[in-house]
Amino acid sequence: MNWLNDNVNMLALLGAAAIILITVFVVAKYIKQMKEDKSTGELAEENWDGIGEYKNELPIGWSLAFLGTIVWGLWYFLIGYPLNGYSQIGEYNEEVQKYNTKFENKWANPDEETLMGMGEGVFFVQCAPCHGVTGDGINGKAADLTVWGSEAAIVDVILKGSKGLNYPLGEMPAGLLQGDDAKAVAAYMVEKIAKLGKSKNPDLVAKGESLWAVCAGCHGQNGDGMGGNSPSLKNYGKPEFVVDVLNRGKAGNIGVMPKFNDGRLSDIQKLAVGKYVNSLSQ
Amino acid sequence: MFHWLERNPFFFAVGVFIVIAYAGIVTILPDFMNSARPVVGTKPYTVLQLAGRHVYIKDSCNACHSQLIRPFKSETDRYGMYSLSGEYAYDRPFLWGSKRTGPDLMRVGNYRTTDWHENHMLNPAEIVPGSIMPKYPHMFKNVADIETAYAEALTVKKVFNVPYDKSGMPKLGTLEEAKAQALKEAEEIVANMKSPEVKEALKRGEIKEIVAIIAYLNSLK
Ligand code: HEC
Ligand code: HEC
Ligand code: HEC
Repeated sequence: MNWLNDNVNMLALLGAAAIILITVFVVAKYIKQMKEDKSTGELAEENWDGIGEYKNELPIGWSLAFLGTIVWGLWYFLIGYPLNGYSQIGEYNEEVQKYNTKFENKWANPDEETLMGMGEGVFFVQCAPCHGVTGDGINGKAADLTVWGSEAAIVDVILKGSKGLNYPLGEMPAGLLQGDDAKAVAAYMVEKIAKLGKSKNPDLVAKGESLWAVCAGCHGQNGDGMGGNSPSLKNYGKPEFVVDVLNRGKAGNIGVMPKFNDGRLSDIQKLAVGKYVNSLSQ
Repeated sequence: MFHWLERNPFFFAVGVFIVIAYAGIVTILPDFMNSARPVVGTKPYTVLQLAGRHVYIKDSCNACHSQLIRPFKSETDRYGMYSLSGEYAYDRPFLWGSKRTGPDLMRVGNYRTTDWHENHMLNPAEIVPGSIMPKYPHMFKNVADIETAYAEALTVKKVFNVPYDKSGMPKLGTLEEAKAQALKEAEEIVANMKSPEVKEALKRGEIKEIVAIIAYLNSLK
């Protein structure tokens, strides 16, 4: 009989019992009245097709409550509402402000794990419809984020070129280097420019350095993008690069990705989703 | 005490109506002139977009999709800025909808693109696993009705003074000019599409329904 210890259950049972009891009494009273009562009293003047109504005065309490509501209603209709105008937009603004303050306080210094969780959440809502739930780009319909940002992706960019981030230098042409040369530059870029850790082809790094001049013309000797003329390759494979993509959008060889600069994502959310995207390929 | 009310049913009904309508009178009437005017930057639809809107209505997208973002944080986070009544000034009729089986589309132009719509309309479940939105392959076959769209645009221009052909507003011109303009807009959209069927049709001067509806969806911002 554990469930009887619950107050809600207890109250519901008591209430049910009370309702049954009251019903029995009330029904009994009216049945008795129907049996014994005779119609007496004064009839009201109005009469519809022979159906009349007795002049029963309203109970005092009832009419006072009724009149009180009318007076309050008049006050509310004419003064209360119109002059203290409630505004839905006003309430919305307050709600947003309160929420934003709370959000900022709560996530002022998020740890890695929190950022990753936030990034995953943002990804499923905002990015998965195009990039797929796993980030694989749904058979080439958007960038394959399980590869993008990795060493293999750099080789791919060198072979196929890249366009659509809308940098002053415009498009990066395809086929600047071929075969091992492309791999070598990618290895050098991973270890020395983006500093993402060890390359998969460590023996090619030195060769890559000697070929870097091919890229330096547009990306700068140290890969910083020459003051915003091309993307900074120092950020490649890092959340900052993803944030840059989100701010610019990309109309590339695969398709068009919209900008995310309409305030739907806050700065910290962009950084978080960037972290999550990088985790898919690294 | 209130028998006099019961004896005058007509007067009673009028009284009840006023009391019930009062909330509407106080909230809608005072700012009606202002809020019915187009918001700055709102433009009438081009003929191609209007043809897409007809497809939207014909295929009953509004049965599953709303076009009205309410001022709640949960909605503006997902869909963008809440809707203003002036944004619907050129919608005849407006397509607020009353049910969200799918997401709101009021500003879908901000976060979806031509190539995405092409893939999605052909087979939604392939793009969004588990989607219950129907496929619309017939839009890749049917030709959009530019003439009817032009007729509607011309009518609202003449009857309601919708500002077509004003500076900074879409051009309407004659039917021939409007068709050429629609073809030009369609070309920009088809450039981002893959379907060879649609591309070939455009070379013949035919605009498929899918192109028109994408033009419409892209215009929702
Ligand atoms: C002609 C100038 C030019 C040269 C030379 C050049 N790039 Fe680029 N690169 C660009 C531009 C412009 C972009 C931005 C492309 C875009 O808008 O998507 C870019 C983008 C990139 C990206 C980012 C691609 C992405 O996924 O967003 C990588 C990585 C890259 N370049 C590597 C290289 C490497 C390695 C070399 C040398 C082999 C090189 N680039 C040579 C101009 C150049
Ligand atoms: C409307 C569809 C769409 C949405 C939504 C979308 N993307 Fe993309 N994204 C694309 C397409 C298409 C490309 C490929 C662009 C190209 O290279 O042609 C792309 C490319 C990318 C790239 C590679 C950019 C480069 O420089 O090569 C990154 C990173 C990326 N998206 C991240 C994201 C993140 C993070 C989100 C969510 C916040 C997101 N995308 C939402 C369609 C989308
Ligand atoms: C049976 C209801 C239904 C009908 C009818 C329907 N949709 Fe959908 N739609 C959905 C559902 C559910 C989703 C969410 C899943 C998805 O993205 O496929 C959706 C998603 C969408 C999206 C993506 C929105 C976003 O924010 O990701 C667009 C755009 C869209 N529909 C357009 C249309 C158009 C245009 C039509 C009419 C030709 C239409 N829909 C008809 C149910 C429907």
